[in-house]
Amino acid sequence: MFGTLITTHGNLGNELIKSAEIIKGPLENTMHICIDQTKNVEDLTKEINSAIKKLDKGKGVLILTDLFGGTPSNISLSFMKEGKVEVLTGVNLPMVLKLSEAKEDMTLRDFACLIKNSGEKNIMLASEILSKKANR
Amino acid sequence: MAKDLNIALVRVDSRLVHGQILEAWVPFIKAKCIIVVNDKVAADPFLETVIKMAVPSDMEVIISSIDDFVQNYTFMHGHGKRTIVLFGSIADACNAYERGFHFDKLNIGNVHNNEYKVCCSSSVFLCDEEISTLENLLKKAGVFVEVQRVPKGRAVNIKEALKDFWHVK
Repeated sequence: MFGTLITTHGNLGNELIKSAEIIKGPLENTMHICIDQTKNVEDLTKEINSAIKKLDKGKGVLILTDLFGGTPSNISLSFMKEGKVEVLTGVNLPMVLKLSEAKEDMTLRDFACLIKNSGEKNIMLASEILSKKANR
Repeated sequence: MAKDLNIALVRVDSRLVHGQILEAWVPFIKAKCIIVVNDKVAADPFLETVIKMAVPSDMEVIISSIDDFVQNYTFMHGHGKRTIVLFGSIADACNAYERGFHFDKLNIGNVHNNEYKVCCSSSVFLCDEEISTLENLLKKAGVFVEVQRVPKGRAVNIKEALKDFWHVK
């Protein structure tokens, strides 16, 4: 099983996990680290490092972060390692909901792509969809 | 090299380029260029790439060591691209000042020292050394130093934040 670590500005990640659990039930092997302005980068790096170790059951860890270029993402990127740690930014609820759908034969990269696609595919502008239907 | 850049913000931020810079300061300043002055980043191609990827593509990004920055760049003030200069620490900013990069105003955003003496805001924790470095910058050079995380956040004059710690009034 893959591990998933969500790191975000403030408590966003924790709330995403809670929201996903309301819809789908408990998420296994998933953790959240909250990044706020009172913590320094060195302490956060240590915190993320120990979370990765805890979450890695042999198949690697996917880190989901909120904003590319933000501190949660910047620190996470320093842990990137092929087959061991992947970093995916722009986390949203559809992505978190998809986490439990990992298949046995997937590599960490496949898993990361599955989650990425789910996040991208679920961003929709309702009026665009409606106008497309109307024009059919 | 002489760069036609208008220095709009000089900031100390231990996180360098991050959410507050990209989402709050860049639009507020209408910056078109960011200069990251940091020895560690300048020596690490991976960190350099991450920063360059994070910054919107219509902005110029310059990453430089302190030595390179003070020796090789001169700036035109008042015209050219609006520019944010980022230092990772108070010591780095003062070092650059002493070696010729003169600024009138210094913004302090994120400084986390575990052995801090003063907490100036929720993201600025200063140790003894930093307090006296700032004191020099303020008293000798007359730089206006302000603690402010984001443009819409509260700005605190460092004189006010450190009034109980100055050796000379």
